[in-house]
Amino acid sequence: MASRSGGDVGVTRRSVVAGLTGGLAASSGCLSKIRALVGRSRPTTVSLSIKTLPVDQDPYAIAIARQLSAWLDAAGIQSTIQPITAEELYRQTLINHEYDVFVGQFPGSFTDPDAFYSLLHSTYSVESGMQNPFGYTNLLMDDLLERQRRETGRARTETATRIQRRLVQVCPFLVLGFPNVIRAARTDRFTGWNGVFDPSPVNLLGLNHTGDSATRLRATTPDDRPMANLNPLMSSYRGPSDITELLYDTLAYRYRGTLYPWAATNWEWTGEDPLELDVTLRDGLRWHDGTRLTASDAAFTYRLLQDTSLGSLSESVPTFRFRGRSSLVESVSAVDAVTVRIQFDDCSRQTARRVLTVPLLPEHIWTDRTNKATVSGVDVGVTTTDALVTSNIQPVGSGPFEFTSVTQGQTLVLEQFDDHFLQTSEETGLPSALADGPAFEEFELQFVGSDSSAVNLVANDEADVTALGVGPDLTSRIGRADDVSLNLDRSGAFYFVGFNTRRPPLTNPRFRNTLARLVDRRWLVESVFDGYVDPAVSPLAGTSWLPADLAWEPSNPVTEFLGSGGTVDPKRAREAFRAAGYRYNEQQRLLRS
Amino acid sequence: MGIVAVFLEVVAVLSFMLTVSLSVVVGPDRLWTALNDLPDRLRMAARPIGLLVAVLAINSQVRTTGVDLSWIIGYNITQLLYSIEGTVVATLQSAVPGWLTLYFGYVYVYGYAFLLVFPLLAGLVAAERRYLRHTAFAYIINYTIGMFCYLLFVSYGPRNYAIVEPFLFDMLPRFQLLTSQVNANTNVFPSLHTSLSVTVALLAIRDHETFPKWTPVAVVLAVSIVLSTMILGIHWATDVVAGTVLAVFSVWAVSSDRVASLFGRCQSLFDRWRRG
Repeated sequence: MASRSGGDVGVTRRSVVAGLTGGLAASSGCLSKIRALVGRSRPTTVSLSIKTLPVDQDPYAIAIARQLSAWLDAAGIQSTIQPITAEELYRQTLINHEYDVFVGQFPGSFTDPDAFYSLLHSTYSVESGMQNPFGYTNLLMDDLLERQRRETGRARTETATRIQRRLVQVCPFLVLGFPNVIRAARTDRFTGWNGVFDPSPVNLLGLNHTGDSATRLRATTPDDRPMANLNPLMSSYRGPSDITELLYDTLAYRYRGTLYPWAATNWEWTGEDPLELDVTLRDGLRWHDGTRLTASDAAFTYRLLQDTSLGSLSESVPTFRFRGRSSLVESVSAVDAVTVRIQFDDCSRQTARRVLTVPLLPEHIWTDRTNKATVSGVDVGVTTTDALVTSNIQPVGSGPFEFTSVTQGQTLVLEQFDDHFLQTSEETGLPSALADGPAFEEFELQFVGSDSSAVNLVANDEADVTALGVGPDLTSRIGRADDVSLNLDRSGAFYFVGFNTRRPPLTNPRFRNTLARLVDRRWLVESVFDGYVDPAVSPLAGTSWLPADLAWEPSNPVTEFLGSGGTVDPKRAREAFRAAGYRYNEQQRLLRS
Repeated sequence: MGIVAVFLEVVAVLSFMLTVSLSVVVGPDRLWTALNDLPDRLRMAARPIGLLVAVLAINSQVRTTGVDLSWIIGYNITQLLYSIEGTVVATLQSAVPGWLTLYFGYVYVYGYAFLLVFPLLAGLVAAERRYLRHTAFAYIINYTIGMFCYLLFVSYGPRNYAIVEPFLFDMLPRFQLLTSQVNANTNVFPSLHTSLSVTVALLAIRDHETFPKWTPVAVVLAVSIVLSTMILGIHWATDVVAGTVLAVFSVWAVSSDRVASLFGRCQSLFDRWRRG
């Protein structure tokens, strides 16, 4: 408050001076010049705050942030780094948009160009959540995003290419690379560890036990959010390899690149204009509380995802996740107990299928969560619903595992759900790795303070696996431990630098584009990731959607680094910013205007 | 090794250290005399110790639930600490040879627990009343002020800022289970390891005559612990400075006649108010 009033005083003083000098000089005729000079505000220097996770929760993020800060400094841009605990970090960045620069991992994998829709479309720039967290707005981009939804075949590939090329030009966020996640796993109880957490922990169903009578799978995590909140709609609590995916079934599940019917037995396209899909559920599906899961629940889910108030509030209250997918749905209805009919907005079948991968929510639980959220009955003036604030403990889903217990900040225990279709059906049509059901009856997720304690627990046979990745400095200890294997999984959850394009000077695409050239991915690979990363410039790297000219190479012109050997050349950086229209003060600090 | 096992290990080592040190520092004669009027001594210790336990209970509650509150009301000063001191801790760490860091690792856990418990026990069995009371009150001052600082300031240590190697947990990973039980990783300013160790050392110097053999042990241990907090990458040098200031303040407060008379007056006022 004090500093703000100080600022006001400055303005007043300036206007007093202006008044005096103005009065004296009025006769001399240079009043207009004085007004032109005095009225100008003093240029301020650019200063950015970089928010990220501490080492205990992410082995790489803060090292990237510190390197980025050094690069910015060489270019005359001041920056401060704020390590923030996950829950708070994502509330600040995703919900409240309080950040300049964010460094971290994308919460999930990116396999289809339509994932860009919710991430970059202008209409989402004012919403909270995982939809357009960067506040990026561009009508041309909107047009491309809408087009790729309608298009198929080569036309769509071309549009996807244009989106990606545009993305690396205007840089609302910078993809750094896809980490090769390092995990320690015990091999004396379970085998087949590769890919069991990426992209989804549902892949844990593919584990085999070694014949030992192991019934409990013990995983460790440095992320305490799953022990505080199991609400699948809250983006600030959900990260890569989200544990709620074990609790909630989806209609379809993508396994190793193929979309398999999951809670559905099959689906059929029943209309073209508008596009219409009839999805048939499996027989005898039940929620964890024993209630029957019907088509009405599925239809309810899509309506809730579009507006969590179900029309009871004057404005719709959209979810913090799944916005891209739920926006594809025009209308949805339950034809009978096992058939859901979905009508789509203008889009292709290829894109429409994406709606089948949202979690199914029980109507009888969530229908009571559509009221305006209050704190102990007090309206706090925020228009949101209970569905978007509830911690959802205990969760009632229909997934292969059901909730058993949670100790706040310590342990989450799930157990096999006996009425799940994987247990009750003979023929599921799923690949055998999944169809055989889990190799363990209980799943325990234990919080640990840091990755080195996590590895220690696995080495001492107090845990079976580190659910999240550990730092590269631990590989030798994992290698030395008995009955422990070192697993490397290429994660789809890429590391990126996100810019809040709502805040100047980050509003300016030229500015962001120049910032992008201060980042040396090759250097990060060596100095931060110790080689455990595949550097990339597009989120679709590693898929067939990536155009050849955006494949990462050190000499790639779109990512040309303004320096060499990991050091920014201050002169070249200043030239680049000057070319973008920016100026420097005498101390070589970049000016805002 | 689970948390229980680690805890038992610490308790066992600590009991051994205390037994040896009590018999050497206090001496069998004084211990024997003390045993005879143990009931009296216990009664005398009940109030300061009880108060200390109460403060510790509140403190541990605040450290767990207060973390959330701290994110709401606190200032994130990690960057500030870094900009004040830069890579002092990293420099210190690189100057220490590997074998010595193992010593610091053990000192950080065992040495610290021992340093804090010994004066209480020794005061209980073999010293005038003042000794125990001053020790307990100095601890209380440290914990209380530390608790408020933890609420007001959110800050990660150098380990979490990736400027140093996380030595303690790399070499002795089992201890992280223990320290993460005791404390959140955002509670680093000030360093309570430093403030309490320095407090014990200062009190040992002040009351040198009571246990002459204890003074050198306390000073060496305190210095080692102070260094260990930085060498292990847990605290910033600024935290250590703040901890030392806190220690000096707490020892001054318990030693000062003026504080004592102020305290006495408050107590008599309170008594008068209670009697109506």
